[in-house]
Amino acid sequence: MLAVAFDWSFLSENAGGLLAGLGRTLWVSAIAIAGAFAIGLVLGAARAHRIPVVSQLASTYVEIIRNTPILVQIFFIFFGLPQLGIRLDAFTVAWLAVMVWGGAFNVENFRAGFEAVPFRYREAGYALGFGKFATFVNVTLPIGGRIALPPSINTYISVVKNTSLLYVISYQELTTTALNINALTLQTVETFTTLAAGYLLIVWTLSALIRLLESHLALPKDVR
Amino acid sequence: MTLPDWVEPIVHYMATEGLKGTLRIAVVALAGSAAIGIVLGTALTIRFRPTRMLIRFYIELWRGLPILVTIFIIFFALPSVSAQLEFDPFTAASIGLILWGSAQVAEATRGAVESIPREQHEAAAALGFGWVGRHRFVVLPQALRRLLPPLVSLLVNIIQNTTIAQVIGAAELLETGERSVERLTAPPPIGPGEVHAFEIYAGVMAVFFLMSFPLTRLAAYLERRLVV
Amino acid sequence: MKRILLATVGVGLVAVVTAAFGLAQPSATTGPTRARAAQALPPLPAEVKERKRWNIGVKCDSPPFGYIDVQGKNAGFDVELARWFSRFAFGKSNRVTFTCVTTPSREPALTTGRVDLVIATFTYTTDRDTRIDFSRAYYKATGRLLVRNDSPIRSTADLAGRTVATTSGSIYDRWVKNCYKQSKLLVTDGFTNALLAFRDGRSDTLMWDDTVLVGIAAADPNLKLTDDLFLPLPYGIGIKQGNDAMKRWIDSRLNIMRKKDAFVPILKQNVPARFFAAFSKNVLRPKQVFYYSKGDLTTQCT
Repeated sequence: MLAVAFDWSFLSENAGGLLAGLGRTLWVSAIAIAGAFAIGLVLGAARAHRIPVVSQLASTYVEIIRNTPILVQIFFIFFGLPQLGIRLDAFTVAWLAVMVWGGAFNVENFRAGFEAVPFRYREAGYALGFGKFATFVNVTLPIGGRIALPPSINTYISVVKNTSLLYVISYQELTTTALNINALTLQTVETFTTLAAGYLLIVWTLSALIRLLESHLALPKDVR
Repeated sequence: MTLPDWVEPIVHYMATEGLKGTLRIAVVALAGSAAIGIVLGTALTIRFRPTRMLIRFYIELWRGLPILVTIFIIFFALPSVSAQLEFDPFTAASIGLILWGSAQVAEATRGAVESIPREQHEAAAALGFGWVGRHRFVVLPQALRRLLPPLVSLLVNIIQNTTIAQVIGAAELLETGERSVERLTAPPPIGPGEVHAFEIYAGVMAVFFLMSFPLTRLAAYLERRLVV
Repeated sequence: MKRILLATVGVGLVAVVTAAFGLAQPSATTGPTRARAAQALPPLPAEVKERKRWNIGVKCDSPPFGYIDVQGKNAGFDVELARWFSRFAFGKSNRVTFTCVTTPSREPALTTGRVDLVIATFTYTTDRDTRIDFSRAYYKATGRLLVRNDSPIRSTADLAGRTVATTSGSIYDRWVKNCYKQSKLLVTDGFTNALLAFRDGRSDTLMWDDTVLVGIAAADPNLKLTDDLFLPLPYGIGIKQGNDAMKRWIDSRLNIMRKKDAFVPILKQNVPARFFAAFSKNVLRPKQVFYYSKGDLTTQCT
């Protein structure tokens, strides 16, 4: 074996393409995370409060998504649905697929968070004359939401990592861009080192954010 | 109701070849992840900074990378480093899943081992057990009980992530499905020239659901039993 | 199992190290001078003779060249070719173990020695020729564009701003990336997915081998082929770099097949009768030969 230095000119020569790919990864992730947050909040609340029909539908959605591979879901949406006349372009499939997946996991995060709020707090809300909705907004959400925050950020990290699977529909995110660059430059070691570094940068930043939030938003001991 | 002619041979091919491939990767990946992960996780509880930092880096690295990227690195990049590091798609995918899975198990093991009260360690030490014996006979058997629910969840995740092997062409369930779609699209004499992507990919989803759902339930049940 | 565990730990460590330093092996330089082929037919290479079996890499998702048939067995034009080699070597067509390769895994399969040969729609390029050897050309593929009848695309000159569907890692993939930077590429895993993407309106055109597209256009009255032909790139059989004995054996047997017109019956088994005429122009026949073009056509932009 012969040690050869990493060719740093690889970075400057391909910076434009790689940054564009990174940008699309972040953009798709951002849309999907926002959507997954909304889905998790609404359906998680419906599940925790056992709202009829909505709760059962949400449960079915969660179980189907959690128990099937996201790669098959992407194949199904992109290559299977057009047979039924549903034709979505690569960008729509990109954010939709990862959002639907993240949403399902987030429903469980929020449900668990809301259910962890002791019933006596809600009773206190009612005693103060709050209605059901006002109690949720003023009591359950602030406490349960804080409990749900760290696991939901874990879900968002998975959402970011899952965008790499959009390679199979050739959406030009970071992984697809890197493989395209590799096909042209054949600088395999440089390409994959850069690709790995890109994901680690995003994922480790988000992980650090969790630790920061956990200490910042931690509930006082006696509330737990 | 009778099934169309194309269904039977494809189901047969996907079951004998694809499902077998999926299970093969899943079993190897689970065994490897558990073996490496439990050792690393236990070692992580040793109060020795260098080992802790090394294992921590291993965990954060393989948990931080998308599994697809890990598998690409193993399959495409390693051969350009050394000819000895060329693996077939099945091995490359299994290694990728083991790296990721062992990182998950290591983290879970650390938590489980640390949850065993100090008194247990001390009592075992008083009985004359060394570090290895203490962990092997006293701490780990108790930690394993706590480890069971995350291991079952991990199995579900591994089963689902075996599909990533499709991207590098391992003949698992999704890949055999794709090959079948390709043949059916071809004009005679090879195939009927029909597109059956919807049915085949929906079928693949259904099979994964049937494998994963009971395991998800089992994991939830084991978790509840533990809390009591 | 034990091996995989060891390999995993090894790979984990090596990957960590290489991520930090970037190690590379010097590419093997080869070049034993090619001996003049004797008049007699070259003998079967020793490694195959000892094993009494071929190990051959073929496609499993690319009909009509390599696919999985109704019985779950390997079939197709390339697979039949492999069976001919088995017959030449051992007198029986079943002395061959097939390994499914994908477009990107063809070269690794050869260089690791996992297979003796790769017969898998392997287009010759000068770039690939630096890493592996090719047999003489056995099939000539030419690129065409499939478009909708009302499409404004009349030739490759109209591709700017359009989305082109093709398969990932193919010669067309590289060519469009190099030469049509104004175009969007939609590359998929396998031809069907590229076709689906085109049919679903996700791309404006489908770029692929003429003979396959002829069949699609003939079956669908709403689709047509544009007139221009591009990238006339023959397929060759991939052989490990420097294995001259193997190359001589393969080339001599391909020549026998050419003289016997043996490619025609293989074609008949694998392509629809009405397209047979179109396909038959692309195989070796007693009075029909073709060669590789020198230079990397994927970087030659017109």
